[in-house]
Amino acid sequence: MTTVPYRHKMAAHCESGTVTSLLNHAGLDITEPLVFGISSGIFFGYFHKMKSFTFPTFIVRNKPGQIRKNISKRLGIKFYTEKFGNPEKGQEKLDQLLEKGIPVAVQVDFYYMDYIPAWERVHINVHFIVVVGKKGSKYIVSDSYFPQLVNLETESLKKARFAGGSMSPKGFLFYPESIPEKLDYRIAITKGIKKACFYMLKIPIPFLGVKGIRTMAKKIVDWPTFARDTEHLSHEIMKINILLEDQGTGGAGFRFMYASFLQQAADLIKKPELNDFSSRMMEIGDGWREISLFCARIGKNRDLGQERLLELREMLNRRAFTEEDFFKQLYKTIKS
Amino acid sequence: MKEKDGIVDCPEQQVILYVEKEDGTYGPIQTGSYLTKNFLEDYELKRKHLEEFLKSEVQPGKSSPIYLYMVLEDLTISELSARVNLRQGKVKKHLEAKHYQSLKIELLERYAEVFDITVPDMLRLMPLS
Repeated sequence: MTTVPYRHKMAAHCESGTVTSLLNHAGLDITEPLVFGISSGIFFGYFHKMKSFTFPTFIVRNKPGQIRKNISKRLGIKFYTEKFGNPEKGQEKLDQLLEKGIPVAVQVDFYYMDYIPAWERVHINVHFIVVVGKKGSKYIVSDSYFPQLVNLETESLKKARFAGGSMSPKGFLFYPESIPEKLDYRIAITKGIKKACFYMLKIPIPFLGVKGIRTMAKKIVDWPTFARDTEHLSHEIMKINILLEDQGTGGAGFRFMYASFLQQAADLIKKPELNDFSSRMMEIGDGWREISLFCARIGKNRDLGQERLLELREMLNRRAFTEEDFFKQLYKTIKS
Repeated sequence: MKEKDGIVDCPEQQVILYVEKEDGTYGPIQTGSYLTKNFLEDYELKRKHLEEFLKSEVQPGKSSPIYLYMVLEDLTISELSARVNLRQGKVKKHLEAKHYQSLKIELLERYAEVFDITVPDMLRLMPLS
């Protein structure tokens, strides 16, 4: 039996939660919103047709892996990372690290996390957990989405770490190797905000950033053409709620957590103007929450005619308008 | 969002929600999932209907059990083929009953692993010829 003493804590999101909890374990007092904000986690992207998705969908955060990479770049934290072609070698390395007393983050297919209720589990290769020990045939796991430490069968972890498909984990693992004694939060926060503004406003791709919200608004009325029947459409419309609220966002598609980041940043870098942006972001989040609840309601009632979808379009367009204005002003403020 | 508006009693699924606390700061609370508390029954009903429909399609001359599980697990042909490490054209064939019935057990095992089921689960729906 190998167990690393580890303080398990739930988090809003698996990647920012995992990175935060490993940094806390290594002695750095940093919060999840700071990790998320410094790494420019906030985003929007709409995908109308993609090979790996059965239905149009959207994302509300930056690309998986970017949170760790950006926090590393902006705060000078070094992470040990490794991928494996051979599953046996991948498991061996994990065991060796645990024996040395190192808790290790691994990338997994969420579907094989069998402690999670079946209705939540989907095949998605970009879930992150921290492995903190091994007892017999089971690993002891700290998963940000579960209230306590849990056990996971070796076989399940192996399947999860070496699942195929898009963004396959290939046994990827990481842990922080070194943290600078002095961290420059001013530069890190400024860069994090500037990049988030760039992602939201300036990426020249019509389905990303604020433009992505507008594209989704425009295309949402076409969703019935992709559905098998009304129940399928109802399921997909209700998934908007899941993606915004339940799939590890801290509520309102990360907007509430970003509001918390701006509030902490205002204090940390002595820029009180960010407090106003924090309040505005909380209001923006309330607007997204309204969309979540609206989608849950019309989905449940099978009230999915064009009139309702046009209503949803208007709600999304309002979000696009508000976020465009917000990020433009935030960029001006952070630049000054 | 105010803290009181974020509190949902749902022990089956806990989430972290960022809310405005009474002192005006924004921070996390551990609460229940609104969707699970209010709409889980509806989700399960839709899944049951889908499963019944797909089972009715699994028969000679129509769909295979692989098709049933692919749809149930919300996978595309491209995603499934990457997961079982086969060409898309082959996977497409395996979705049809006539091709499925001539598959080797080793290949069925690869599919079963992706769907997290056993080979007998698939064979119960449709035996090989």
